[in-house]
Amino acid sequence: MNTLTRTQKSIITTISAAVTLVALFPLLWVAIAGFKERSEVLATPFRFFPKRWLVQNYTDILGDWTFVQSMLVTFGGAVLFAALSLAVNASAAYVFARLDFKFKGLMWVYVITTMFVPGMAILLTSFIVVNKMGMLDTLAVLVLPGVASAGHMFFIRQFYLNIPLALEEAALIDGAGRARIFTSVFLPMSFPVFVIVGIGSYLAFWNSFVWPTMTITNPHLFQIMQYLYTFRSERSTEMGMLMAGSALSALPTVILFLIFQRHIISGIKISGLK
Amino acid sequence: MAKSSSVSKFKQDNKTAYLLLAPIVILLTIFVVVPFFYALVVSFYDWSFYQESKFVGFRNYYLVLTDDLFLESVWTGLKFALMVVPSMLVLSFLFASVVKNLSPRFSGFVKTSVYIPTIISGIVASVIFVFIYDYTAGLANYILGWFGVEPIAWLADVRTALPSIAVPAVWLGFGLTSLIMLSGLHDIPESYYEAAELEGAGTWAKMRHITIPLMRNVILYLLVTGFTAQISQFELSLVMTNGGPLSETVTPNLYILNHFRNDVMVGNSIAASLLLFVVLGSISAIIFRVLNSEKAIDG
Repeated sequence: MNTLTRTQKSIITTISAAVTLVALFPLLWVAIAGFKERSEVLATPFRFFPKRWLVQNYTDILGDWTFVQSMLVTFGGAVLFAALSLAVNASAAYVFARLDFKFKGLMWVYVITTMFVPGMAILLTSFIVVNKMGMLDTLAVLVLPGVASAGHMFFIRQFYLNIPLALEEAALIDGAGRARIFTSVFLPMSFPVFVIVGIGSYLAFWNSFVWPTMTITNPHLFQIMQYLYTFRSERSTEMGMLMAGSALSALPTVILFLIFQRHIISGIKISGLK
Repeated sequence: MAKSSSVSKFKQDNKTAYLLLAPIVILLTIFVVVPFFYALVVSFYDWSFYQESKFVGFRNYYLVLTDDLFLESVWTGLKFALMVVPSMLVLSFLFASVVKNLSPRFSGFVKTSVYIPTIISGIVASVIFVFIYDYTAGLANYILGWFGVEPIAWLADVRTALPSIAVPAVWLGFGLTSLIMLSGLHDIPESYYEAAELEGAGTWAKMRHITIPLMRNVILYLLVTGFTAQISQFELSLVMTNGGPLSETVTPNLYILNHFRNDVMVGNSIAASLLLFVVLGSISAIIFRVLNSEKAIDG
């Protein structure tokens, strides 16, 4: 704004920089504490930077195969989860946005109502269901239950409703089938909405904690948050390693976010609220 | 639907539609609908993993509603939400008002940076803040030391435990809330402010008569989603205090989770979770009613 004076501008810049620093501080601190010597992590008085920068904690935690494995397994699971979730929810979104079929209204209500079921209310009975299906301690129990999401479907559908009909009418007249139009007209245009929904699914999977602790006991399938929680209760003296592990566990998420940040931030629109 | 008229020029596509809908419908049925009705049924039974279940009518609901620990946990959840949501909204509103005036280049950097905590898991946030609150070596007591204040056992003291958990909750939610606020602020036409300036309105008058009324729907949305999200919070108290000291930080969902893990009978906790769902729904409805009682002004 051109009405601001120079002083006002510098005040505004200073405040913003300070808030940014405060917001990032806890993360920076945990990453930096990972470089401290074992005895120094909880030493008094408080020091931000280590006396000597050591990579010991980082090499130790990376030398723990269960940690590395849980990072890899969780990452693989999260990518698979995001991909499946996009496939399932986007095809339903397309159907509800464009196709006309018997019982459409009924199906819509059925799907949308599930959005209001609180996760905690079905936590235990979901466990019983997956137990009966023999899914415990498999990758499937981590991935499948959350794939279908009425919320994500709804979000993608809103996006599809804004795609002009004219784009597909030409293809329809040429005799292309509805499924063809979905793959050749809609999917190529879906990138902006897929980034937001895909990252959302990825994050939900990566950060999930309660469900894995209930359904996974096999260390080969340990999820990263489950690993950190267990580490904290079982090896509570190794603070430096816990700090290093926490920092590393946030790293893939932060990198992924930085790659797509432009799309994610511009996707935060509240125009639908009016 | 207005669009169906132009779509129905073409024939119905039952086969394609059902084929593409099958995955979502099947998955939702197995993992949401069945567990939900199952939970409804179980809430009326004296059900356990180890013995025959017995129909008990509304007894589980009665037991939950007369359990002081459950009522306390709902009260704790409310207090927690009252600490987190208003402070988060005020802070992010002020911050968004500042960021709005930044040069586009710097504001891009600021937006990205403040958003980063939003993507951090509750577990990692808990680990970090437990260190910050450490009695001898933590940052919080170190800062108090500057002012000559005695160290505080943040997470172990009944008076400070819940507010101490509220801080990481604000930290986690601040970025997204600010960006939503900011996008709301950008939607207000600059000409309104210019007109007000010509009339001689100051900063405060502009905020009170233009910004806040036009931000009403955004604030309402953030209030309702914030409240339901914060009352449902349990990861922070699970990892940071495990509900302690005493049961000062047991939020409703932590109460339910603890019962799942420790009780033989689960009908109780399922009844509790269904009740909580009703409580949360009513709170959102009340907030909506109160704030929506005057007609929102269209921007």
